Amino acid sequence: MLEIRDIDVFYGDAQALHGVSLTVDEGELVTLLGANGAGKTTTLRAVAGVRPVTRGELRFDGAPLHTIPAHRRPGMGIALVPEGRDLWPQLTVRENLELGAYSRPARARRATTLAEVYARFPVLEKRSRQLAGSMSGGEQQMVAIGRALMSRPRLLMMDEPSLGLAPVVVTAMFAAIRQLHAAGLTILLVEQNLARALEVADRGYVIETGHVALTGTADALLTDPAVRTAYLGL
Amino acid sequence: MGEFTTLAISAVLLAGFYAAMAYGLGLIYGVLRIVNLAHGGIIMAAAYLAWQLFERFRIDPFLAIPIALVVFFGVGVVIYLGLVRFIPRGPAGAVQSLLLLFGVWLIIRNAAYLLFTGNEQVIQTSYATSSVTILGGGFSVTRIAVFGVAIVALLGLHLLLTRTYLGKAIRAVAQNPDSCTLAGINVERVYLLTFGLGTALAGLAGVLASTLFAFTPSFGAGELLKSFVIIVLGGLGSIIGIALGALVLAFAEVFAVYVVPPYLTSAVGFVLLVVVLVLRPGGLFGQRVLR
Ligand SMILES: Nc1ncnc2c1ncn2[C@@H]1O[C@H](COP(=O)(O)OP(=O)(O)OP(=O)(O)O)[C@@H](O)[C@H]1O
Ligand SMILES: [Mg+2]
Repeated sequence: MLEIRDIDVFYGDAQALHGVSLTVDEGELVTLLGANGAGKTTTLRAVAGVRPVTRGELRFDGAPLHTIPAHRRPGMGIALVPEGRDLWPQLTVRENLELGAYSRPARARRATTLAEVYARFPVLEKRSRQLAGSMSGGEQQMVAIGRALMSRPRLLMMDEPSLGLAPVVVTAMFAAIRQLHAAGLTILLVEQNLARALEVADRGYVIETGHVALTGTADALLTDPAVRTAYLGL
Repeated sequence: MGEFTTLAISAVLLAGFYAAMAYGLGLIYGVLRIVNLAHGGIIMAAAYLAWQLFERFRIDPFLAIPIALVVFFGVGVVIYLGLVRFIPRGPAGAVQSLLLLFGVWLIIRNAAYLLFTGNEQVIQTSYATSSVTILGGGFSVTRIAVFGVAIVALLGLHLLLTRTYLGKAIRAVAQNPDSCTLAGINVERVYLLTFGLGTALAGLAGVLASTLFAFTPSFGAGELLKSFVIIVLGGLGSIIGIALGALVLAFAEVFAVYVVPPYLTSAVGFVLLVVVLVLRPGGLFGQRVLR
């Protein structure tokens, strides 16, 4: 479904990605792992179109993606839950969700999707009139995921959804991710919590200073000696 | 008591006009983080448009409002596409935007001098001198009509911002443009429409002003500064904030007649501005973001 072929991305003169390649197939849950500053966020932002790619190719369903402006990509079925959630704090929960369905195809089915999102995260319905900025971290993350789901994505990208959450909330978050995957959604998940991410994922990529260092099935990565020493501290 | 009531009603009527006048500036600042120094020039240009329509075609200024809204929305779009679009967003572009939009103002003003000379103009409608009595005080029909139009415009804007997809997108862009792109909102287009809308509101204010005051091509400077005072006082949070800011300014100006000579009342707003900036830099009623 998604193919990233040998892309370079720069911030000014500093190169953040050096020839990164990665694929996600329909129905898969793929996780992208790595240390701080490795280039995980940059990779997702390149797919979302908010970070330009200077070399290489992005393809979605086999068609070139890099020529399509960022604001058109949600309408094609690509959604990103950004790092740090990035909600509109002074809008209500409901307004945040409604704006997630901004693209034409999603707008037409807004009511149905909203009911689905409320069914998945009942607390959002209870808090629908509250300002998003006044919610707890875990609830805000649910709003961020709900907002992305409102665009009826076919590929859902999530950037460190467990960041800064209390342990029980992290567990709930991974349960929600597992359910979304079980419902057939294709997911590209960025995480620093390797053990947790590899538990739910089918496959994974480990990225180091802008290069893909390792890739394999989740089980293979979990038992890989290099991963165990470098990232799991075993 | 009688005089007090009359002054208070005067202040409320004036506040309605002030709120409509300030909203365009506040909207553009809230979303694009740019102080539109051309605001005063647009107000003046719209007054001249109303005057020309009245002199040449006998179109009543109040009936000229829809024309002015369309014309100045277009003017805003042209200014955005021709200039504002190229200014870097954020603090990097602050000085550039001030200089460029100040330049636009000078161009509009000098064009008005060339076209219409510096002579003072007034629009003499048939009802210009009619008045009605409210609670013992006489109020001109024009001022009441201006108040009515201003209230309708503010309500319309409130509904646009809170009830429509475009309005919600405008408020979201004011709070976090990056996540708007991720949600599929074309942020550039929202900037363009907001600049058009803010300019159209300045146009509305200019038409309303043309029914209240005499004007020359230099008209608009005071209106820009007062608009600025209002958004600093009231914040950008909501229509309520703007309305409160407008009320504070209008009451201060109207009731200043008790303490200062008439030629100094227009300085009242600036004294207020300085006091607020020193004591409460966040504004009297808080909320620095458009919500
Ligand atoms: N806005 C920016 N300007 C300049 N350099 C940046 C910017 N954002 C990221 N970088 C650099 O690009 C590289 C990759 O950053 P990126 O945010 O993609 O890492 P990450 O893997 O998501 O890290 P983290 O786990 O901390 O979120 C880093 O070296 C970082 O310093
Ligand atoms: Mg990151």
